[in-house]
Amino acid sequence: MAASLVRFVRGGLGRSFNIGRSSCLLQQQQQHRRQSSTTETSPTVRAKDAVTHNQLAVFGEYVAEILPKYIQQVQVTCYNELEVMIHPDGVVPVLTFLRDHTNAQFTNMTDLTAVDIPTRQNRFEIVYNLLSLRYNSRIRVKTYTDELTPVDSAVPVHKVANWYEREVWDMYGVFFTGHPDLRRILTDYGFEGHPFRKDFPLSGYVEVRYDDEVKRVVAEPVELSQEFRKFDLNSPWEVFPAFREPKEAAPKLEAGDKAPEKK
Amino acid sequence: MASTAATRTAAVASKVVKPIFSRDLDDAKRRVRQLYRAWYREVPITVAKFQLDITARQGRDKVREMFDKNKHVTDPRVIDLLVVKGKQDLEETIHVWKQRTHLMRYFHETEEPRPTDFLSKFYRGHDP
Amino acid sequence: MAGLLKKTTGLVGLAVSHTPHERLRILYSKILASLQTMPQDAAYRKYTEQLVNERLTHVEEEPDIEKLEKKISCGQIEEVIFQAECELNLSRKMSEWKPWEPLIEEPPPNQWKWPV
Repeated sequence: MAASLVRFVRGGLGRSFNIGRSSCLLQQQQQHRRQSSTTETSPTVRAKDAVTHNQLAVFGEYVAEILPKYIQQVQVTCYNELEVMIHPDGVVPVLTFLRDHTNAQFTNMTDLTAVDIPTRQNRFEIVYNLLSLRYNSRIRVKTYTDELTPVDSAVPVHKVANWYEREVWDMYGVFFTGHPDLRRILTDYGFEGHPFRKDFPLSGYVEVRYDDEVKRVVAEPVELSQEFRKFDLNSPWEVFPAFREPKEAAPKLEAGDKAPEKK
Repeated sequence: MASTAATRTAAVASKVVKPIFSRDLDDAKRRVRQLYRAWYREVPITVAKFQLDITARQGRDKVREMFDKNKHVTDPRVIDLLVVKGKQDLEETIHVWKQRTHLMRYFHETEEPRPTDFLSKFYRGHDP
Repeated sequence: MAGLLKKTTGLVGLAVSHTPHERLRILYSKILASLQTMPQDAAYRKYTEQLVNERLTHVEEEPDIEKLEKKISCGQIEEVIFQAECELNLSRKMSEWKPWEPLIEEPPPNQWKWPV
């Protein structure tokens, strides 16, 4: 869906575009947003905002032209979000550029997280969401890694990345080099595994209970009988297997009706 | 075009992975020994601090068992990651962020051994 | 200076500058000097030189601070100074990183393909 609106920029780096615009690329964005929102009347369709889209695309080209060493691809999604795909070596340079450059000023890191796509060669995508208060604009920087390749920590650039990276380490097991204090943040001490990986089972590996004999909480390897592992997604609540209501069966044909497919 | 293809194959041939800490296996082994030493020294202090019902000897045996569990690993990067996790574990123990239950989990006191022969599996009721 | 009317910028950690023109002139000349070390056709040098020169001419032409702020239109003059400091830092780091070089490594095939 998003792919239909993708703008590949790397091919067109040699092109020259109007430089005069670039000094206030993002400034005009707000005014145009106000104008264009009035034209579309259909309530269920998201209003197309070609002006914002173009401005983001131009800014994306601007960034890609300045940092060709790190940027692999730039795209504007159908929801008018600018995405910059970079090589994992370029995390610190790209984030620093976006923070310190006068035309960017993305001084605020709103989120840092990861996505696990096990079929890919580099299964983890690291996503940085940045906000520029000066130009009221957002940008998303994406990079990739696998289970064993370390990524440069973003803490020297954005202090807020500290806990976010701890979270990514805890949940996905991506190692960040140069992080000042990398340790678990969400899971319990002694917990093994990284729960947000797609190959982590929903019911987990251990079961925790209070044991009266040893007078403390004990964790034992969970051993669910196969019956309990048959999850049906009819109800958001876990229902015991014996009391699950069967799905509605397909309506039976009465004897008099003709079977539609055969004679 | 041909030149780029040639460079690409060359790059694949001499694919260099980014190291986590250790450049080679010896370096990684050195880190493992460092970690083992740190754990070895920490065990009596831990037993005293947490008031565990074990001797230091038992604790050290357990540490050795935990290290032996991963002795088949030969990739320096995997070793490095395991060492990182072991260090974090040690830190949690030293600062007493853990509680007694977390430490005693290593000893599997309450777990029943899994049935191995046919008859005990039959008595258990289901075949896990 | 005559233009000094306000007591505070209203922003935490950002003190009122008493001699913004001088400060900006020094910073901009430093940025330009740092940009000189980069290759002529580097995009970063091109755009930043243009931006800095534009602001520098404003600073030299306009003695009144409020009018200068309006001409630059990027916040209060102290914020403009802060931006210049950041830019100076960045330009020095940029000459280390050399981001105008060609791409280090192409992404693996289908890395950015979505949906998978």
